[in-house]
Amino acid sequence: MNGAQHILQTFQQHSIATVFGYPGGCIMPLYDALVGDVSVEHVLCRHEQGCALAADGYARASGNLGVCIATSGPGATNLITGVANAFQDSVPLLVITGQVPSELIGTDAFQETDVLGMTLGIVKHSYLVDDADSLPGILIEAITLAQSGRPGPVWIDIPKDILLTQVNPETADHEGCEHSESTEPRTDSATHNAAIDKGINETLRLLREARQPLLYSGGGITLAGAEDSFREFAEHSALPGVVTLKGIGNPGRHNPNHLGMLGMHGCRAANRAVDECDLLLVFGARLDDRATGKPETFAPNAKIIHIDADSAEFNKIKAAAVTINANLNDVLRALTREVQAQPLNIEAWQKQCRTWLTTGGFQAADNEEALAPITGPAFVRQLSRIAGDDTIISCDVGQHQMWVAQHYQFNHPRQHLTSGGLGTMGFGLPAAIGAQFAKPGTAVINVAGDGSFMMNAQELATIRRYRLPLKIIILDNQCLGMVRQQQELFYGNRESHINLDDNPDFVAMARAFDIPALHINRTDQIRRGIETIFAYKGPMLLHVAIAREENVWPTVKPGGSNRDMMENTKPAKKKTEENAA
Amino acid sequence: MSQAITSSITTSGTTISNRHVLHCRMQSEPAGLERLCRVVRVRGFRIAGMSVESSGEHFDIALTLEGSRPISMLQSQLLKLHTVGEVVLGAQQARSVA
Ligand SMILES: Cc1ncc(C[n+]2csc(CCOP(=O)(O)OP(=O)(O)O)c2C)c(N)n1
Ligand SMILES: [Mg+2]
Repeated sequence: MNGAQHILQTFQQHSIATVFGYPGGCIMPLYDALVGDVSVEHVLCRHEQGCALAADGYARASGNLGVCIATSGPGATNLITGVANAFQDSVPLLVITGQVPSELIGTDAFQETDVLGMTLGIVKHSYLVDDADSLPGILIEAITLAQSGRPGPVWIDIPKDILLTQVNPETADHEGCEHSESTEPRTDSATHNAAIDKGINETLRLLREARQPLLYSGGGITLAGAEDSFREFAEHSALPGVVTLKGIGNPGRHNPNHLGMLGMHGCRAANRAVDECDLLLVFGARLDDRATGKPETFAPNAKIIHIDADSAEFNKIKAAAVTINANLNDVLRALTREVQAQPLNIEAWQKQCRTWLTTGGFQAADNEEALAPITGPAFVRQLSRIAGDDTIISCDVGQHQMWVAQHYQFNHPRQHLTSGGLGTMGFGLPAAIGAQFAKPGTAVINVAGDGSFMMNAQELATIRRYRLPLKIIILDNQCLGMVRQQQELFYGNRESHINLDDNPDFVAMARAFDIPALHINRTDQIRRGIETIFAYKGPMLLHVAIAREENVWPTVKPGGSNRDMMENTKPAKKKTEENAA
Repeated sequence: MSQAITSSITTSGTTISNRHVLHCRMQSEPAGLERLCRVVRVRGFRIAGMSVESSGEHFDIALTLEGSRPISMLQSQLLKLHTVGEVVLGAQQARSVA
């Protein structure tokens, strides 16, 4: 068996059933091995960035490893944005690229790029395989490493000759495997467990002392598979809670103490609660600047308790009074037992938070005027009402992404696929493809911006080829809306290169890929538009013309404090009239 | 109450750059040293001196670093590298004001 065949065998042994890839010179031996192979489904995307982002969407939706494959040189460089995207959001990916034959490395050979060097900053780990016998060990280690501790992409660059060399897994070197848990805590387990117990006791003491404690959760809940234990803790502690962009869905739809997303485009109630709390319990979040705003004024009255699988996040942005480096499930379960036995006494604070929520939540956005132009928030709210409980929504990046985050009621964090850390325009369509492969029976919708959609529009061909039933909704404001908004608010309304009023005819474009499409532009068409695409069995695109001047509210000036949120003071429509005058 | 973590800035506004020595042990691998140096740079430190001893499977690396951010933050970032086994802080050296 050669190296390429061995890779496929390893996939099979590790239940890797779907991979996303694109062939080329140096990876050809692997593609040759795929001929006649029935154990793995290879999905051909139409751009390597599409492959990487589809693998990312696959992993986010399923919780399993995403795998993408490309050739050397341009194949590898095209993967980079997708891999960086996965790195920033801690998504488990296995990336395999072909490299020029070993003896040509360093000769500036055709399609040679220094993949290892170029990608050091966007991988959890990477390998250049220099010996066929090390391939089996590296593959196993990479698969484990990508998914353990804080997950992330692991990249294996394999020279073509190694793909063709005979590998004998019996005699091969598996030595690498013994290091595969090194991202786990490195102290001995007794010391580590004692530290966790101490942290939990300290947390309980502070929690019982606090008058205004607040729960803050992020994407780490899902990464740890701690969704259920989180919900139990949130419910039994009855703590008011806020979530980050990636924590959306953590508390489910029905937690009465949930205040919503915090941060730059968070709701006033959530930011207010952070501002006023005296204890902040941070679970699985890294206190990213989009969430905290200016760190000096973030949670100014609070002691912080930080619980995370990655201890390098502790004290990075804010000093914590208590840190616990542990599996979130263990800590949440221990805390739940304690608050069940002796409930917290925080009624006044709960009441206060609920009052803030009635006036400072995201609810005030409906516009039911039949003939009015469609606004992003109104559309998303309708979508949320009509879509089923487990529908998966993948977004692109911009205003539409924030409207989804603000107005769609997610039941579970794995339903919300969004590019949080990197903010990658063009994420949504390939991520939806990956999600649909991961969850063939689940409704998957890509909510795209008109700008973002064009960044990976070639993947319409992938949807068509595999007849994926996913739905695409383009919220078309004929501009790079989020940039336009910032130019309006923070650059004296000087618009610079954000205009997209010469967008293609998206309906015709979809049809060119044999995907039926529909156009709507009035509020009274929203429901029928959504119902029509849902009723259709195959893929369908809904083109939604929305108001150009609409902004995402509230907002915080970049670098500013969350307490200085700006509200909509000038209705968008009025501004257009003023501009025209 | 809770503090934001920033560089050590004196009341006069100048940034204090500290000198540290870190001893790292890492598995030898093709991109090992690049991996290590990249993290040092990105996390806000300059390499003022470096010595590397290779002993079969391992590199023993002594780094003399300058930077104003807390050195513990760099230590924990270096420890996240899969091939880094150990990061030990040597005695802090003289402070320089940048
Ligand atoms: C690849 C990439 N390039 C540039 C940006 C900067 N950027 C952020 S939002 C945005 C506008 C997005 O426009 P669109 O997709 O139409 O969404 P809208 O804001 O209009 O809803 C841009 C250019 C980015 N996030 N990603
Ligand atoms: Mg737009």
